[in-house]
Amino acid sequence: MKFTWLFGSSMEAHHLLWTYLAVWLIQGGYLAWIVWQWMHTDAPADALDSETSEEF
Amino acid sequence: MKRSRILAPVAIVWFLLTLAAIAYATRLGLIVAPTEATMGNVQRIFYYHVPTSMLSLLFPYINFVASLCYLYWRRRDPLKALTADAVAISSAEVTVVYSSLSLLTGMLWGRAAWGIWWTWDARLTSMLLLWLLYVSYLMLRKLSSTGQSHTLAAVLSVFAAIDVPIVFMSIRWWRTQHPAPVFGGGADSGIDPSMKPAFGWNVLAWAMWGIFLLAMRYALERRRQASEQDAALKAIEASLEIAR
Repeated sequence: MKFTWLFGSSMEAHHLLWTYLAVWLIQGGYLAWIVWQWMHTDAPADALDSETSEEF
Repeated sequence: MKRSRILAPVAIVWFLLTLAAIAYATRLGLIVAPTEATMGNVQRIFYYHVPTSMLSLLFPYINFVASLCYLYWRRRDPLKALTADAVAISSAEVTVVYSSLSLLTGMLWGRAAWGIWWTWDARLTSMLLLWLLYVSYLMLRKLSSTGQSHTLAAVLSVFAAIDVPIVFMSIRWWRTQHPAPVFGGGADSGIDPSMKPAFGWNVLAWAMWGIFLLAMRYALERRRQASEQDAALKAIEASLEIAR
């Protein structure tokens, strides 16, 4: 593969790999936390939908 | 038709486009862009570090404007104030995510390029201060029990925004360890034209991701607010039933 150097044993390769992985993990983790919180937050009652919560 | 039913497909399409943009931008950064002559492949950290750093200086302004709107509307129009408050907390969290990544990717790059994880350089220190300010904002909202936490946090946000131009200008005002500005730094600044597509696509992709996170977090906060209003109304109805 053209980018096998990414998985090399040098510090540069390790840091480059960890940078990209850290960005994906932290960004993905934050989105997963939002989704988890969404699923554990009660949906607004229908009674409120017509007035205060129309845009939720 | 409820607005959420219209927005859900838009969010899904936006999410898929964002994932495609991130995949393409990552491919450009890791494979297509040329290897930099001095630093070698570790310079490819640039394609993630600089876009996340740039965006970590843009989201605080959304928080700043939303906080000002909250302070203005909190007595005049409480429903609009709730909307502004939801935007404020969403943008503060996204700011913490992006500034954390800016610091983390910068440290990983610094260790490989300079041989040190950290130095009390003007840019690094002002960026750490920005991160601390927005973490303080979130902790204040989470832990304060005064009943005025939203107002106090909005005031803190206005002060925190002052640090943003300091972070931006720090590498122009003080020449310390951090490199000089790559863009807009004078005649010698800029990158090789062959690197520009990788950089541009990464800025676009991570901006799209940030907007998506902001929208999702805003929707969650509005759901929470509605749920709390619902619970409060039920409590009032129950107390009225008891009074009868």
